[in-house]
Amino acid sequence: MLLSCNRLKSYIKDSKTIDWLKIWDTFTIRTAEVEGVKVVGNGFDGVVVAEIKECCEHPDSDHMHILQVDCGTGELVQVVCGAPNVRVGLKTAYVKVGGHIDSVEIKARPLRGVLSNGMCCSGKELGISDNHDGIMELPNDAQNGMSIKELYPFIDDIIVEIDNKSLTNRPDLWGHYGIAREIAAITNHELLPLEIEEVPNDKENLDIVIKDPHLCLRYCGLKIENIKNNTTPMEMQVFLYYVGMRSINLLVDLTNYLMMELGQPMHAFDARVVKSIEVGLANDNDTYTTLDGEERKLTHDMLMIKNGDKYFGIAGVMGGLDSEILPDTTSVFLESATFNAGSIRKTAVALGLRTEASSRYEKSLDPNMTIIALKRLVYLLHQENPNMKIVSNLTDIYPTKVTEGQITLKKKTVNMYMGKTMDEEVIKDILERLEFKVRLEDEAYLVTVPTFRHTKDISIEQDLIEEIARIYGFENLDPKPLKLDLVADEKDSIFNQEYELKHLLAVKYNFHEVHSYIWYDTENLKMLNITKDNVKVLGKQENNILRDDLSLSLMNIVYNNLKNYNKFKIMEIGTIIKNNQNKRVLSLIIVDEEKYLENSYNEAKNIVKYLFKVLKNIDIEYKDNVNEYSYYNESLGKVILVNKEVIGEINVLNKSYASKLAKKKAIVCVDIDMDKYEVLNKNTILAPEVSKYPVVTLDYTIILNNKKYIDLQNILKEFKNKLILKWELIGIFENKYTIRYTIGSLNKTLEQNDIMKFKEKVLEHLKNNNLSLGE
Amino acid sequence: MEKELEELKISLKKELEKGKKEADILNIKSLYVGKKSRISELLTKLKDMSNEDKRKYGSLINNTKKELEELVNEALEKISSVSNVSFDDTVDYDVEVGSLHPITIVAKEVTDILKRMGFTVVQGFEMESEYYNFEALNVPKDHPARDMQDTYYLDNGMLLRTQTSGDQIHSMEKFGAPLRICSPGRTFRNEDLDANHENTFFQIEGMVIDKGISIENLVYVMKEILSEIFHQDVDVRLRPGFFPFTEPSYELDCSCLICGGKGCPTCKHSGWLELAPGGMVHPNVLKAGGIDPEVYNGFAFGIGLTRLAMMKYKINDIRVLNSGDLRYLSNFKIN
Repeated sequence: MLLSCNRLKSYIKDSKTIDWLKIWDTFTIRTAEVEGVKVVGNGFDGVVVAEIKECCEHPDSDHMHILQVDCGTGELVQVVCGAPNVRVGLKTAYVKVGGHIDSVEIKARPLRGVLSNGMCCSGKELGISDNHDGIMELPNDAQNGMSIKELYPFIDDIIVEIDNKSLTNRPDLWGHYGIAREIAAITNHELLPLEIEEVPNDKENLDIVIKDPHLCLRYCGLKIENIKNNTTPMEMQVFLYYVGMRSINLLVDLTNYLMMELGQPMHAFDARVVKSIEVGLANDNDTYTTLDGEERKLTHDMLMIKNGDKYFGIAGVMGGLDSEILPDTTSVFLESATFNAGSIRKTAVALGLRTEASSRYEKSLDPNMTIIALKRLVYLLHQENPNMKIVSNLTDIYPTKVTEGQITLKKKTVNMYMGKTMDEEVIKDILERLEFKVRLEDEAYLVTVPTFRHTKDISIEQDLIEEIARIYGFENLDPKPLKLDLVADEKDSIFNQEYELKHLLAVKYNFHEVHSYIWYDTENLKMLNITKDNVKVLGKQENNILRDDLSLSLMNIVYNNLKNYNKFKIMEIGTIIKNNQNKRVLSLIIVDEEKYLENSYNEAKNIVKYLFKVLKNIDIEYKDNVNEYSYYNESLGKVILVNKEVIGEINVLNKSYASKLAKKKAIVCVDIDMDKYEVLNKNTILAPEVSKYPVVTLDYTIILNNKKYIDLQNILKEFKNKLILKWELIGIFENKYTIRYTIGSLNKTLEQNDIMKFKEKVLEHLKNNNLSLGE
Repeated sequence: MEKELEELKISLKKELEKGKKEADILNIKSLYVGKKSRISELLTKLKDMSNEDKRKYGSLINNTKKELEELVNEALEKISSVSNVSFDDTVDYDVEVGSLHPITIVAKEVTDILKRMGFTVVQGFEMESEYYNFEALNVPKDHPARDMQDTYYLDNGMLLRTQTSGDQIHSMEKFGAPLRICSPGRTFRNEDLDANHENTFFQIEGMVIDKGISIENLVYVMKEILSEIFHQDVDVRLRPGFFPFTEPSYELDCSCLICGGKGCPTCKHSGWLELAPGGMVHPNVLKAGGIDPEVYNGFAFGIGLTRLAMMKYKINDIRVLNSGDLRYLSNFKIN
């Protein structure tokens, strides 16, 4: 929202004692964020009132004229001008030679061979209007040679931009007067009352009906005739331009002016077409053409203003073409109403039509503002139209009155929140400056909340504490540490466990952590020719299926990285949605040449084994998996078991799918259930008994025909002997598996005889299981 | 005799100097001190000598042999320490190093700080119910934040959480009062992507509940946290803000770290960076968490981890973070 400091000053007594450039830093920390402060009106100098005395066509141009103007120097000055509205007798803005516009010096120079001494300029060229249709038309009584800034002192202004978002909860700040009230409170100045005109209630009421009183909280109407002057005073035009509105005509401008001044949207209908006003809901599928010429489709929850039985405007959003003020209008029906904030917002959002009016209504405006705004408009209109006639009562339909609020603010609550005992007078003063009424009691303040703060902003003690704290100034509070509480975390957090895993994977195995989206990439699934059905995001056509397989969802990232890398390892710990539940999963993906599949696969297995061993001191097991998803290789799928319970999977993306990502690549995926991992207790480590006698290692190279290592493993597990300290696989060559036994005794050095006996038993066990030894 | 022995030494030295490889030295060795060498020959002859000669030359020959052997050994050692290297010792491979996501690094730093200050680290759910994301947080039904165009609603009646604040409720339900928690996590807003906007980003939520907590406590804690995060004293300022779940609510700005408060494009020339919204926990939120607002109060805050990471690493396009592009991400080595 843009603010004019000239306007703000007019509402505050002794406003000269406020530094209007600097006050905004304070305003930011007391009230709302200021996004910019700009001095305007200083882009030109040497511009004076000049009267066109002679005007003839330029011989070499089809649109330019040669003018002789009187700019108060006693001599006529020759100026060439291309504007269409040049005519003898017109008083306009003239830039003297040596003057500046937009910081550019104006020089005497020939225009198509005719010397032009300075230039006549438009409002746009001066930066006070967007009108560039012609040169400015100044009042006839303006004195020739007078500086434009002397004629229009309001051109010099400071324009301030407030962040609208920081005003969402302050319906009272959507107009200049409300902002002035804040500044007066912050700087301890007096806010001047608005000049309004009371309207006598000695005529007929207008025919106004509210059908849905919970959606239209108040509707005030007034009919005025004999409005002959529909020209907006220059000061209002410049003000509206500075705050971002277009000047149209007096009646339209006044409604906009009131919206900018008080935050109250108003509407002026051409009284000739108004029969009776009804505020009620639309019918589904009806259409209505708004002022901007767009045909809008209506629904049954949109509140409409109806004229007789025809739609007349979308309440609080935008009027229609047929109610527009026409140039020949002399009578007007004024509307000043309050609507339900939520209803207006929904309508505006549904229609994709957020207007200045709707964005104010959706903040919950004070219904008591309607009548003030109307009386203010009457006052301002009357000034320009001394002969206007009010022809109706100020008709006020107000079904449920909004009253002031009452809050008991306990002193102990204030002191607790502020962290110190606050002086009662300070609190009373702050609240009263903000127009709260305060009655001091023993234990509390009885606070009356004005209606303009009571529509949604202020309803509980804490709301008042915010008012006190911000005006008191947060910078005036002393930061204090919390009391120390020595309570230890009951358990290592999942965050830490996740970090520990990722850190280890990055440090030891050179994994790169990535983040991906919680939904599948639609394009990527399409490319892989995989269809997924899971929870969906509403209202989205692409990337709308939530992932139920973390590794699969990473294939998009795999695909993109394969454009730059031949091999890589990535990881993510993320959420998947499975069976309608959140699930944390660790995914590891190893991408390498297809010919190295065995390496990648074994690396994946070893990594998982390592992680569980190091971080949980748990020995995991692998078991063949029945794959849930057909895109993973049927025979290579493994489940990871902890105490016989599945905690994860190792999979290899099927060749037919991998080949869609890149040629001849093998993609190995690990998925570990972090929800289960998190609650796994670390196995305690007990100090082992270590023999002081030497150990003996014995290597056996065993030939496996039509068997896998797991078969050998199972066979060897059954071979029990008290001398075995450990056994392990140390190498594979073709179908020959080398196993190393480490044997020893706690009591003695093994003798040749003991070793021989052991060897015999090994051979016997192997033989019994139809295994033979290699070379 | 003496002369011959002396000459043997000199000629051995000359030979050894010529020897380049270990094999050369070994050849020389067998020539000068081997079984068929002149010195061995002299030693054999010694036993045929007169007793007087034996006495005269015995030790001389023996000592000379030792000296010759020493010379050979020295040469051998020298050669093995110089030229025995049979590989290229200048080879220099790139070290393969893994990486952590910048958000992970920043989240770790922030949670470590909060842990030192006595906060318990918790973690919430990305798919959340309307109750925990809005209702329990005092966000009314018709609040703009609940609109479809801001929130990802799901076809199972849940939504993707728009804030980590729901973890305030989960934590109060789980731990009760007093309470000191922080919750880092991923949140979602329905936004069109560009260099500054993401629909998926990270926040960390903080909450303190105890008896008699003041705004002054909040200012102190926030100042501490930010000073620790940025490893320097930062100025903070509070501005009034509005969030349904806190009252009073604040926007917390910290002095711009890029320009030091003088004003620059990053801080939109204000000298301040909007960093951590927060405020005193709204009584309705305490009630929703099963805590009596007449007995306890507290404060809560949020810090944008994505924002912090971008500031820390000077990332100028937010989309990099969820791109999975290793050309960027592999540079975030663990430190």
